[in-house]
Amino acid sequence: MTEPKKVLATFQVNGEPHEVAFLPHKTLLEVLREEMNLTGTKHGCELGECGACTVQIDGKPILSCLMLAVDAVGKDVRTVEGLANGAELSQLQHAFADLGAAQCGYCTPGILMTADALLAENASPTRDEIKQCLAGNLCRCTGSLTIFEAVELAAARCRGEKAEPSKESIYGS
Amino acid sequence: MKPFTYVMPTTLAEAGEAAKKPDTIVKGAGLDLVDRMKERLQTPSQIVNLLPLKTEMAGIAVENGELRIGALTTLTQLEQHPALANRALEGLRHSAASTATPQVRHRATVAGNLLQFTRCWYVRSEAHRCLHGGRGPTCLAMTGDNRYHSVLGWMDCVRVHPSNLAPPLLALGAEYSTVLDGKVRRRKLSDLFPSEPRAQLAEHTLEHGEIVTALHIPVQPEGARSSYCESREKLSHDWATTACAVRLVMSGDTIAAADVVLGAVSPVPRPRPDAAKVLVGKKPSDDLWKKVAELAYAGAVPLSHNAYKLTVGKAIVREALEQAAR
Ligand SMILES: Cc1cc2nc3c(=O)[nH]c(=O)nc-3n(C[C@H](O)[C@H](O)[C@H](O)COP(=O)(O)OP(=O)(O)OC[C@H]3O[C@@H](n4cnc5c(N)ncnc54)[C@H](O)[C@@H]3O)c2cc1C
Ligand code: FES
Ligand code: FES
Repeated sequence: MTEPKKVLATFQVNGEPHEVAFLPHKTLLEVLREEMNLTGTKHGCELGECGACTVQIDGKPILSCLMLAVDAVGKDVRTVEGLANGAELSQLQHAFADLGAAQCGYCTPGILMTADALLAENASPTRDEIKQCLAGNLCRCTGSLTIFEAVELAAARCRGEKAEPSKESIYGS
Repeated sequence: MKPFTYVMPTTLAEAGEAAKKPDTIVKGAGLDLVDRMKERLQTPSQIVNLLPLKTEMAGIAVENGELRIGALTTLTQLEQHPALANRALEGLRHSAASTATPQVRHRATVAGNLLQFTRCWYVRSEAHRCLHGGRGPTCLAMTGDNRYHSVLGWMDCVRVHPSNLAPPLLALGAEYSTVLDGKVRRRKLSDLFPSEPRAQLAEHTLEHGEIVTALHIPVQPEGARSSYCESREKLSHDWATTACAVRLVMSGDTIAAADVVLGAVSPVPRPRPDAAKVLVGKKPSDDLWKKVAELAYAGAVPLSHNAYKLTVGKAIVREALEQAAR
């Protein structure tokens, strides 16, 4: 059996090609952060149990900590760095900022990528659908409620509605 | 992780040949395997990735009336496929839909789910050395913290079989196909699990290099309905503490045939034929469910920390029966 060798491959990340050499036992999370310097994707539990490492592969949210990087070659990889259009944040990012849906922010990139995939499929998700969709993302700070509200606010704005955060969700009731 | 060489086969024959090499393991999505390799509980020098074979090994198709589920079909595909959107297969659909988290279900394969390693916290920890997994002299859970362990059918190791899909597939009479040395074999799903689940045995009976290619669900009789229920500590992310899959074949308001299979309470998924046969010829009633639930757990022996599984498990059996009959 031959010694493990680095493989050279081109990844499509956020629409751009990235050519990197890496060992086949590296996870997508490690290669994104350490070889491509895309450190927006977070390193949480490493066990599949927190969702902080969520990225999109061909539009579907998946856990980059349990995916070997080699398996992502040839796929369309999207990370939190790909959400904004230049300096212009996406509606989802704006809504999270407006509502304070992030506190420490560690869970936020994973939650944004999961919610972004939902909104791409479903322009008017119900509260229940949002909860189901985010059932794999843990947040230790916010209590999740503002996160659900932020997804609803972003969805409304994406539909072209003039939605503003309610006073209660900013100041409490 | 210990470095390994990675084989990306282009045909099943190539995968089969590579999988036979020593110190080699095959991989589906890798959700279970990558986790174990990070803990260095599994340190193969070669991995054969099955994902490039998705065209031939993934997807759901009706073949001669029966349902063929490719081994690489994901749990999301199983949950969403129209072929499962009926009362007969609801137990399987629901078990897929309630597994883990959306991110896991988008990648987890059906074969990987059935063949996943136990979640026992001793044997999955690098710091502990258990007989199961071949690293130590005894089952540490037997005398340790065994709140998530077996109450039924255990021998010298009290691990539980964690797969959500196994109980409903068994209740539906599923079979599985494998390939080894180019030879295709098709067997009853119960043959995939050891009949005497000793510590030294794996969770499954596959030989080294044998690859599961598909699951087959026979045509379900008129009036068939299935259900799957589980108890767990968290609404999402969590493995079951007890689980039950039921298939009832109704003839008018009478039960003409029945299957009851328990999950998460024994080292292998456990069909309970003695409980199921009591249902035959009867009409649904809570008294009947209570009787069947008692029989499903007949002979159960709880460990020091898991007597709750008997109470909760019986309630789950009643709920699964009620859902199937409703
Ligand atoms: C947070 C979390 C929660 C979870 N909760 C649940 C739950 O509630 N219920 C549940 O059932 N599961 C649960 N799981 C487990 C999950 O369903 C499995 O890890 C997943 O299905 C494994 O599939 P895979 O394709 O990634 O398998 P892999 O990790 O690739 O493989 C698993 C094992 O199967 C073998 N294998 C895989 N495919 C084949 C094949 N075709 N032929 C021969 N051998 C093969 C591999 O060699 C390996 O030993 C959870 C996982 C996570 C991370
Ligand atoms: S880091 Fe991947 S799920 Fe927690
Ligand atoms: S904002 Fe801190 S974990 Fe979610």
